[in-house]
Parts: sequence; structure tokens; C-alpha cells
Amino acid sequence: MPQELLKEQWPNAIDVITIGATSQEGGTRDRAIKVGGQNGLPYLFEESDMPNKPVIAMEVFDIEPVDWPDTLKKPYGDVLSNPVEWAKKCETEFKADLIALRLAGTHPDAGNKSESDAVKLVKDIIANVKIPLIILGSNDEEKDNLILPKCAEVTKGEKCLIGDAAQKNYKTLTAACLAYGHNIIAESPIDINIAKQLNILITEMGLPSDRIIINPTVGALGYGLEYAYSIMERGRIAALGGDKMLAQPFICFVGQEAWRAKEAKASASEFPEWGKELERGILWEAVTASAFLQAGADILIMRHPKSIEIVKENINQLLQK
Amino acid sequence: MDKFKITFYPEKKTIEIGKGKTLLSAAISLGINLNSSCTGDGVCGRCKVIIKKGSVSTLPSGRITNEERKKGLYLACLTTALSNVEIEIPPESRLDLSKLSDEEAFLSRLKGVYTKAESIEKSEPVINEDIFIHSPLSTRLYLEMPDPNLQDRISDLERVYRQIRKVRDVKIMQTGLANIRHLGNLLRSSDFKVTVTLGNRNDTTEIVLIEPGDTSKNNFGIAFDIGTTTISGQLVNLNTKQILGTKATFNQQATFGNDIITRIIYAQKEEGLSRLHHAVIDGMNDMIQALIKENNIDLNNVTCCVCAGNTTMTHLLLRVDPTYIRRDPYVPTANFVPVIRSQEAGIKINPRGLLGCVPGISSYVGGDITAGVLACGMDTEKDLCLLIDIGTNGEIVLGNREWMISCAASAGPAFEGSGVSCGMRAREGAIQRVKINKSTYESDVTTILNSKSAGICGSGYIDLIAEMLRAGIIDKSGKIKDIENKHIRVGKLGKEFVVDDNIYINDVDIDNIKRAKGAIYSAAAILVKHMELNFSDIKKVFIAGGFGNYLDMENAITIGLLPDIERSKFKFVGNSSLLGAREIMLSSDAARKAEEIAKKITYFELSTDPKYMDEYVAALFFPHTDANRFANIKL
Repeated sequence: MPQELLKEQWPNAIDVITIGATSQEGGTRDRAIKVGGQNGLPYLFEESDMPNKPVIAMEVFDIEPVDWPDTLKKPYGDVLSNPVEWAKKCETEFKADLIALRLAGTHPDAGNKSESDAVKLVKDIIANVKIPLIILGSNDEEKDNLILPKCAEVTKGEKCLIGDAAQKNYKTLTAACLAYGHNIIAESPIDINIAKQLNILITEMGLPSDRIIINPTVGALGYGLEYAYSIMERGRIAALGGDKMLAQPFICFVGQEAWRAKEAKASASEFPEWGKELERGILWEAVTASAFLQAGADILIMRHPKSIEIVKENINQLLQK
Repeated sequence: MDKFKITFYPEKKTIEIGKGKTLLSAAISLGINLNSSCTGDGVCGRCKVIIKKGSVSTLPSGRITNEERKKGLYLACLTTALSNVEIEIPPESRLDLSKLSDEEAFLSRLKGVYTKAESIEKSEPVINEDIFIHSPLSTRLYLEMPDPNLQDRISDLERVYRQIRKVRDVKIMQTGLANIRHLGNLLRSSDFKVTVTLGNRNDTTEIVLIEPGDTSKNNFGIAFDIGTTTISGQLVNLNTKQILGTKATFNQQATFGNDIITRIIYAQKEEGLSRLHHAVIDGMNDMIQALIKENNIDLNNVTCCVCAGNTTMTHLLLRVDPTYIRRDPYVPTANFVPVIRSQEAGIKINPRGLLGCVPGISSYVGGDITAGVLACGMDTEKDLCLLIDIGTNGEIVLGNREWMISCAASAGPAFEGSGVSCGMRAREGAIQRVKINKSTYESDVTTILNSKSAGICGSGYIDLIAEMLRAGIIDKSGKIKDIENKHIRVGKLGKEFVVDDNIYINDVDIDNIKRAKGAIYSAAAILVKHMELNFSDIKKVFIAGGFGNYLDMENAITIGLLPDIERSKFKFVGNSSLLGAREIMLSSDAARKAEEIAKKITYFELSTDPKYMDEYVAALFFPHTDANRFANIKL
């Protein structure tokens, strides 16, 4: 007698979130990206569907990054000091699904760029790049609350994804996303309870749950990856089991975490036994990303074009039924 | 060694201290209560004083701003004198330990014991006091003995024993040497007519006291509930069981920290244990004095007292080092303390009077809970019951007559009106009921004794937050929303909602209450889950704590303090610890029961359960992160 697979049926599905709007939809993007919609645990096609595949966003900074190792800077050549060119390169050459514009230079300690600088850059990127846009603040509450609403205003209709909203500071950004039709990133410190609380608070302000993406906060391989993994897994199981306030796609900031790891950054001369630094860094980012794909990540924010290539290949393999 | 005179204003009290002693320790020695939640570690920044005259040396602290430094403010705990010093204490640095409360206000709460909240129509007595045989911890017997003669030549002491056994079935009897020394003369000078005070000391009966004449009518005892934040005492006529008076006061140990852990740490400091011990017995002795004065009773006629407190409080009362309560594997020195002489613990009643301590269960579930279980009769219930004691330490007991399991969670003193901006204990002027107009945000408040509002007590806070949620003044995380309204203003610590003349609640207060209710709810939830049960399986929920009848159950559920189950299951038992202590004082039968209960209850350590933190964070929301658990609460 052939053995029959035990199939799990879940009562709930993850919300589908649309990022970017084409001209028919009131924006200027050449495509819109959908994430979410799965009604089971990742890649178990025997028992569930995964209508939208995970996507990769590439980070672009408004000031030249200071803490990137040379191995990471190299593929970008001389565009790192020119955010518009940088974004174009990610779109055309590296085939990014989305651009994640990080306004790090607006931070009072890192250049303190003004609102008008930020707004101008956002406008330039919108004009020069056709893929959907993620706009990220500088992690300075006060400055973000000043700048992000302005960026939301000038991108009205583009259905961007803007972040991050946190439990202590979500109201201003939620109001801006509500007013200008954007999606929001809701960040919680590796805690599904807080993730859920924040989603409730945001939806209670009137932003529908299908415009929220959860940033569960992740760590790189060797730096708490398994902790973040299990939190995502628990969140997903709760969501599929019926918890609508956790049924949002996940965004994982893989690049920033992986490239902070000593194992990814340290030079070969420092640790000869660790092998070539280029290979090491790329793999560190790719392995971290692949693990979070298994945990249910929908959007990966990554840095090195080569790791992105590896992870894209990995996604395609995972999606083969 | 150099000594300097330190004078505190406005008290105008002076003390000489040695070089190197801090100003905080000088204040403590003078009995001046300064705020000091970190017990002098320089962390909390609440013991600010102004140096008016003299020179001092201080350690740098981030708790003093440049502006404050210019004004001459120093942290008393980090500052030592270099000369004679004059110090002014600003009002905000003062710890408000208001003395004995208005009795009436408190009494009316205690009267509510054993009845359900007003929202429950029919009141159902939970315990019948008479189920315990009346046999107080100490009894007084008047004896008229025949003079000895050549036919009846038994010794004086045996003569007394014989006479006692004629009226009492007493097996083992003992008497202290001090009494025996005086016995011969005493019996003869009083014509062999004496009153003996008998004490139940752990299965033996002791002749505690022998006095000439008949004083058997005057036999009084005092039951105490020693809480981390509040001490309550009740004077009882041991012959008639009549309650003559009840009082409550803040536990002055608060000078040394708000919670038991900080106090245990403080106990390890030089003179720490002795200061903590004196802080509690001073409060108790003041209360005893006030109670006997009001009732015109001679101190010598108070022959015993019984105390119920959490394990740390009991240790400190007896001046037993509580250090190991806090250290893994969290073992107390004693859970069962034999009946001792009150004097040994420094409690001033009749010098030979007795002190009983209600037996505890574990390091973090003490005699107050044993007394509580006894008072609500959980140990006789067939149905599944839950006892929730809402205090600075929230204790939970789950079970029935077959089995019982308990746990403890640190809730903080917010529900007792401490550690919150406008908090106060439930006494005259405390806001205990609040209604908020949903369009104007005008508050309609009810105060205890309908006096002018002076602050907010625990039940008032529960009402207030529930009403703020309903009116949409705060979001579900407890943050005051950005609303233009004359009742919402910005204060030092963020937004404030003004309830009444200068009485307000701010974001930080709401956070404190949220943590307190979260700790208690999640502890109960974990215990229920641990036994693989649901809240809906529970047939009776006893709510203990200072609230009495005044807790609005619907509001307590709305903020997520109590589980959302059928309202008729809740029974308010008020200060069940005090009640249990009284029962134990009045009946050796109850005392035996208490011992059985303490032995029977299993202790469950929350800190070793990995799920607790998760439950706790989930409970830090109004009413709860999982709205399904509070399906009847619509906000």
C-alpha cells in the first residue's frame, strides 16, 4: 500500500501586498510587485500555494557608506557617491526587484541632510528608475518624522514601501502612508507579540492590514539567526492558524546584518585560515538570506550582486514543483 | 575620626555622622524618609537634596542636570560631608509615608470581605467564620483554687495545672522559670485567685502569664497583614471575636526600595537588615499604640498577635537574613516559624505575649497566601478555583481540595497607589471611581468619603484606564493620543491626562499599571496553561487585595487584569491575608488548617518557564495582544 503524505490545511492565508504602481494604477513604475498570499508554510507545494515569489531589494544610500568592506564596494565601482546612478545600476545591471533607498545621510550624526535634499533625491530616483521603491529613514525618530512624510507626499500614487514604524514611533509614518497611499514597514525587536501589537495599533489608525510588512528584525548567520528564524516561524504558524494581525509578509534586512559580521568583513591576511574574504562575505550574505527564505521571508534587502545571484538561483530551485 | 553635624530642613533635625557616611544614611538615622528606590546606589536619582551651607564631596551622576547642579542639588546617596552641613529637602524627594489612615474609609472596604462586587446581585458568603472552633492563640482563665493544707499538699504549680485541667482538656503544659519564681508569693497574696494566660505554643500549652484577680475579660489580640507596600492591622477581642478596629499604613521599608528584591539586596548592606526590621516593627508598634488608645485598652491585655506576610516580609519581621531567597535555588530560611514571644521580634504588646507567623509556601509565596487560601476556603472546594492576590507581589493559587499550585509575579506597587504620579492608598480623598464623558473628556470622579480628591487609588486607576480606552484617549498600547483637548497636556514625563484639579495620569503611569496588570494576568495564564487547563474550566475566581468591593470587575477585565470569563464566577475577598491571620489567631483549628494548606500547595517557579516572558509581553497591551482571549471586550 503506498504511503499517503499527511497534508496540513491552514485556515488563513498571508495578506497580499502590492508595492509600486504602473501608469494604469496611478503611478509611474513599469511594474508592480506583489508579495505574500501563501496559505501554508514556505515551499511545501504538496499542501499549499505560494502565488508570489520572494523578491530582492537592493540598498542605495544617500551618502557614501563608510563601513562597507572593499569586497562589497568593488562591484559598484564609482556609483556609491551618486545615489541616482547607483540605483540605475541596481536596476539595469544587477536586475534588482526593488530599490531600497536608505536616507542615512539625514541622521544628525551622519551629515544631517535636510528635508529638501531627501525630497530631491527621492524625486530623482523616481524619475530615473522604473522599479518599485522602498524608502527607509535614518533611525533618528525626530528626523524621520520630519522627512518621511515629505517623501511620502512627493511619491503619492507610487505605492512605495516606507519604514520603519516602531511601537514607540508609528503614528506619524502611519498617518503619512494612509494619506498618500503607501505601504508601511512595521518593525519589532524579535518579538511576535510586539509585532502583533504594532500591527493592531497601525490598523486601528485606519491603515489596512494588507499594506503592512513585518520587519521581525533579524541577525546574520552566527549572530542570532536561529532566534530570528524561530520567531518568524512562530509568527507564520500563528498567522496561518488564523491570526490576522500577524498575517503580513516579512521583510528581512539581510545585507546590513551579514556585512556587519566579522566573518564577512575581516581580511584574509587577518584570518588566513578563514579563506578568501570575497568568497566568504558573499556566502555569509547568501547563506543568511537562504535561511530566512525557509523561515518565510518575502522581501530580502541585500547588498552584494553576487550573493543576490546565488539567492535568486536558490529561490528558483525552491519554487520548482 | 572626624565627625560633622548634619542638619536637615525643614525638620531642623541634626545628627553627627562620621566622615564617609552619606547624607542619605544620615537622613535614615534621623527617621527622615527620602525617596530612594535604588536604595542608595546612585541609580534612581530620586534622593535629591539642596546643600544650603557647608562643603561636601560627591560622586558624578547623570541624574543631576547642570541646571540642578547650579542650584546646589546633590544626590544624598552619593554625597558625604566635608564640614558641618545644612540641608534642605525638596518636597519631591520626600517619600510620602502617610501614617495611619482614616479608619472608616478602610473599614468599609474590609466590611466588603466575603461578598461579591456590586455588579453581582446576590451576595454569597464564601466562608462561615464559625467553621473553626473558637480557641484563640492565647486565652485567659480565671482560677479560684483551694488553699493548700496537710491533706492537699501538691505544689503550687501543680495546683495551678490541676485547676486548669478541671476546665480545659490540656495534655502537655509548661511554664517559664520567670513565672515559677513569683508563683509562691503571687498565689498567697492573691488568695489563690488568679488569672492565667495560656498560649498555644506548637502542641504544648504554656502558662504565659499569671496575674492576681480576675482579668479574664480583657484578652485582646492583633492580626496583621504585612504587605510589601501596605501594612494592615486589626484589633480583636479574643473572647468575643469582636473586631474593635482596623488600620492600615504604608510599609516604611519603602525607603529602602519598592520591591522585595531591592530590599533583600539592601538587607545585605551594613545595618541594612536591622533598618528594614525596625522600619516594619515601628510601623506595627505605632499601629498597636493607636488601636489600644482608641479602644482604651491596656497594652498588657494585648496577649498575642498573628502576622501574615510574604516570605521576605516575614523574614524581615523576625530579623532573619533573607539573602538566600534571592539566590538560586531560592530557598527561604524558614517557611514554618514556631510561635515565639512577640518581644523577641520587637513587637510591643504584653511583654510575655505571643507572636504567630502564618506558615509560608516558598520563597515567593508566603503566609499571606496561606492565610488567603484559608480565608476563602479554597482548600475545601470541590470545584476548580483560582485565587488572585493583587498586590506589589501578585500571587496566584490554582486548585481545589485535592491539589493546589501557586506562583508569584512581581507587579510593582502601582495598584497600591505607590510609584505613580498621583497615586495614593485607599483612604479619604482617594479617587476610586471614574467615568469619562466620551465627547468632552470630562471626568466624573467618586472619592472615598466623598471628600475633595487628593489622589488616585488602585481601583481608581483601573477605572481610569478602562474609561480612557473606551473614550479613545489612549491607544491599546496605553499611549495618550495626539488630541487637542483641555484635559490633555504635556508634562515633564510626556503627555498627561488631567482627571481632576491637578490630578493627572501620564504615559509613564499607564506603563506602570500596564506592567502590573500584565504581570498578574500572565502569571495566572501560565499557571492555568501549565496544568493544561483553560480559564473557562475555573468555577470560582477569588480576588484578594486591598480593593475589596471597590474593584469594578468589568473595568478590570477591560484593561486585561482579570480573565474574560463569566462575571458571576468572580468573588471579591478583600484583604484575605488579614482575614486568614485573624482566623488563625482566633482558632488553633484554623492554625492547624493553615499548616496543612502551606504543606499542600506546590510552588511553580515562573522564571524557569521559558513561556512566561512571552506571555508577559503579550499581556502588555490593552486588554491583550490576543484579542480572542477578551472576546467580550469591545474597544
